[in-house]
Amino acid sequence: MARNNIRRKKGCRFSGEDALVIDYKDLDLLGEYVSETGKIIPSRITGTSAKYQRQLTSAIKQARFIALLPFCDSHK
Amino acid sequence: MRHYEIVFLVHPDQSAQVPAMIERYKSTVEDAAGKIHRLEDWGRRHLAYPIKKIHKAHYVLMNIECNQATLEELESGFRFNDAILRSLTLVQKEAITKPSAIAISGNDGQKTSNRVKEEVEEEVEAEVVDVAEVAVEVVPE
Repeated sequence: MARNNIRRKKGCRFSGEDALVIDYKDLDLLGEYVSETGKIIPSRITGTSAKYQRQLTSAIKQARFIALLPFCDSHK
Repeated sequence: MRHYEIVFLVHPDQSAQVPAMIERYKSTVEDAAGKIHRLEDWGRRHLAYPIKKIHKAHYVLMNIECNQATLEELESGFRFNDAILRSLTLVQKEAITKPSAIAISGNDGQKTSNRVKEEVEEEVEAEVVDVAEVAVEVVPE
């Protein structure tokens, strides 16, 4: 079924061994957890565990505050 | 003494003042027996959204170790400095000295230069492959 062609493997990339570190300055990483409209993607979709989803949320919000990430796609 | 991470955004027209400002903050921290563990100048970056109708800003990152009074002095300095658009202060558990992700990836201007470098490296590799093939051809003769 070609329901979703580019479906990535689900799972938390921050827990377990060789885990990634969440940092508000790592824009490439945070970008993967933000939708095209700039919204934070729910953990239900990305599979991030609750503990790290909370850290991720605060990191994204910090990055938004210093204008590294947008709040939405209609800034003018 | 606590560890803090500070990022501040300077008005792009006041970019020339940035080295002097860094020097001033450095001396305020060091005069109060504090330490500067990391100091990064990310240069002028494009803002994700305009702040005060400005689209670009000069970013500076500092990881410092100082007492409460010094931090308050710094933050009030940020507040009353018209050149500073915004600042973010975070408490850290320990001193961080490794270069940050943004310092490595570089700003908008440096990104393109990195790409150019990669292209050059690819070309060099291609040439090496050519040479290897020639050598293989020569050996049977």
